[in-house]
Amino acid sequence: MTARNTLLDPLFNKNPVLLQVLGICSALAITNSVLTSLIMGLSLTAVLAFSNVCISLIRKHLPNSVRIIVQMTIITTGVIVVDELLQAFAPNVARALSVFVSLIVTNCIILGRAEAFAVKHSVRMSLLDGIGNGLGYSLVLLIVGTVRELFGAGTWLGIAVLPLARDGGWYIPNQLLLLPPSAFFIIGLLIWLLRSWKTAQVEEPDYREIRFYKAGERL
Amino acid sequence: MNNDSPQKALLVVFLVALVCSILVSVAAVILKPIQLKNQLVERSRNVIALTGLVREDTALTDDELLHAVEQLDIRVIDIDAGRFEPNMKATDIDARSAVKDAELSSAIPGADDLARLGRRSRYEVVYLVWNGAALSRMIFPISGQGMWSTIYGYIALEGDLNTIAAVSFYEQAETAGLGDQVQDPGWLAQWQGLRLFDDQGTFRFRTGPGNIDPSSPAAAYQVDSLSGATVTSDAVTQMIAYWFGAHGYRSLLDYLGSHPPEKPRETGDTES
Repeated sequence: MTARNTLLDPLFNKNPVLLQVLGICSALAITNSVLTSLIMGLSLTAVLAFSNVCISLIRKHLPNSVRIIVQMTIITTGVIVVDELLQAFAPNVARALSVFVSLIVTNCIILGRAEAFAVKHSVRMSLLDGIGNGLGYSLVLLIVGTVRELFGAGTWLGIAVLPLARDGGWYIPNQLLLLPPSAFFIIGLLIWLLRSWKTAQVEEPDYREIRFYKAGERL
Repeated sequence: MNNDSPQKALLVVFLVALVCSILVSVAAVILKPIQLKNQLVERSRNVIALTGLVREDTALTDDELLHAVEQLDIRVIDIDAGRFEPNMKATDIDARSAVKDAELSSAIPGADDLARLGRRSRYEVVYLVWNGAALSRMIFPISGQGMWSTIYGYIALEGDLNTIAAVSFYEQAETAGLGDQVQDPGWLAQWQGLRLFDDQGTFRFRTGPGNIDPSSPAAAYQVDSLSGATVTSDAVTQMIAYWFGAHGYRSLLDYLGSHPPEKPRETGDTES
């Protein structure tokens, strides 16, 4: 496993949202605009890089009996610090993200990477893995945020792109896209697109119909 | 030391907790002043927007906002007494912390507690806007429990202390995309010109289902509910009903009805 793969695989080959279907709660809730998606992606990337590095640093001293709770303490610390920083330097975005910054604590991607990667790998590789997975998550959020803001509000990052009928233009926005359920459809479509491109990601069907053929029946 | 021995586990847990708590405390202490200033600026932005003195498209810097608020006629009111409290300074009032202090707050009787606040401060800060010698607007703080969070806002009444001039909510954590529409400018604009009380002085204001017949008598008191946010909409109705009810600002409003507030001499002309 090379450093390059560790960093870049989570973008398309092992995307935490699209392949492992983790971190869906926030991906549905805060992707109604590009700005909130961007800040959420950066926040999660920062927390993930921080927690991966810290957990990798103490990985040889982690007692099995309290492993998870120690990891959670480190993750929670990262989340609180990021939340405080956002409230100080980006108060408007912090308001828009409301509880979802604190809910990064429960984002399965973070504990997942800690357990699956950081406890077994060097600090450097864990940092790259954290940044890579954070970027993979951010990429999905940005795509979903772009679709939702563009077609739901006619803007991209607050810049008017499609002139709204309400203001004398031609575009009538689809307000469903501003509501969380629309992200279900978009993420579903993204998973379909990605798996059509990288067919190795297609899962085995859960069950298979077994037919018994009578002797002499033509197959 | 063996990694799985209880001593090692305790040591690791202790050290991790120590380092993490230091990190969190340092971040909280260093960033607190900046966060407090942000909150003050945000509150000021709301108050200034409600005064009607500044055009909506004018962008003021943070310092200009804080300065503009200082120019307003700011007064402390004693809600329990229903009077202005001239002996207290607005900067000494912190209504949110006051609810933890039995001296400075009172429990809201269950039947009156429509906004589900539990306690409220005895003192609040209000803002008066003068147009020449006439009171043009009076701005009151309001708050109430929504679906997930306490919603904080301001409501500006016209000089008749009945007609709504403007309203804004500056802090809430309601459902994204649904309840957070309480901050939608289009919806807030619908409040303008509605009235709280009818001619007999009965409180009538409410949020209600759409398609209000504009000619019906209720139309003057009713704003559309937020679609998909019934709980938040009802909470807003209850919040206004509480704050302009008997336990809220009602006794002050009744007092001001017979004793109109006077423009303070030392305050300059706020129209400039």
